Amino acid sequence: MNIKLRNTLGEIISAAIAIIWMYSKLNAAANMSIALISQVLVQGIGISILVGIFLAIVISIFASIITGNYEKNIEDERDSMIELYAMRLSGVIFGISIVIILALLGWFNLHINFGIIAIALSGFFASIASNFLKIYFYK
Amino acid sequence: MTKKKIHIENSVRRLRFNNDEMTQEKLADLVGISRQTVVAIEKYKYTPSLELAFKIALAFNKEIQEVFFINQ
Repeated sequence: MNIKLRNTLGEIISAAIAIIWMYSKLNAAANMSIALISQVLVQGIGISILVGIFLAIVISIFASIITGNYEKNIEDERDSMIELYAMRLSGVIFGISIVIILALLGWFNLHINFGIIAIALSGFFASIASNFLKIYFYK
Repeated sequence: MTKKKIHIENSVRRLRFNNDEMTQEKLADLVGISRQTVVAIEKYKYTPSLELAFKIALAFNKEIQEVFFINQ
């Protein structure tokens, strides 16, 4: 497993951890104020970033110990192309999600809190989907 | 002019072995790309840009058409 695959897996795990953490905090979302929900969402984004950095460092250290050499993460034109494909997929998923969420909010007359949470979570799901696309290309 | 999709192949793998069995890592370092990209190019899974193709050809001291060619 090369360094790009490892880092992408780390990003998927960090996004999944953030989603689970936010889900556990937002189980009573209907009774929460928008300010409280926003705080949880911002904390979730922060957790996702911090866990991502932490995993990248830990995985890199473990890989260096196991393989016995330090693998440099070189970004080249193929990585830029893969990143572009991933961003495009992520944008499409996020865009479709927003339209569906807005339609559902209006259709079922849901609480605005659900809309905010669903939009934030759809961003994480879009990120995970784009990371899986990256794994497909890197394999 | 052809609108047909063309398959660009290359002799990077052969040229590496002809150059003192140069490793993929060494070639990657020479042209400034990752080893994974060298693997993808050798397996014809990725066609490099013109600039990168020239860099690879220069690394082997060859003309670009000797390294990258169309499979008719």
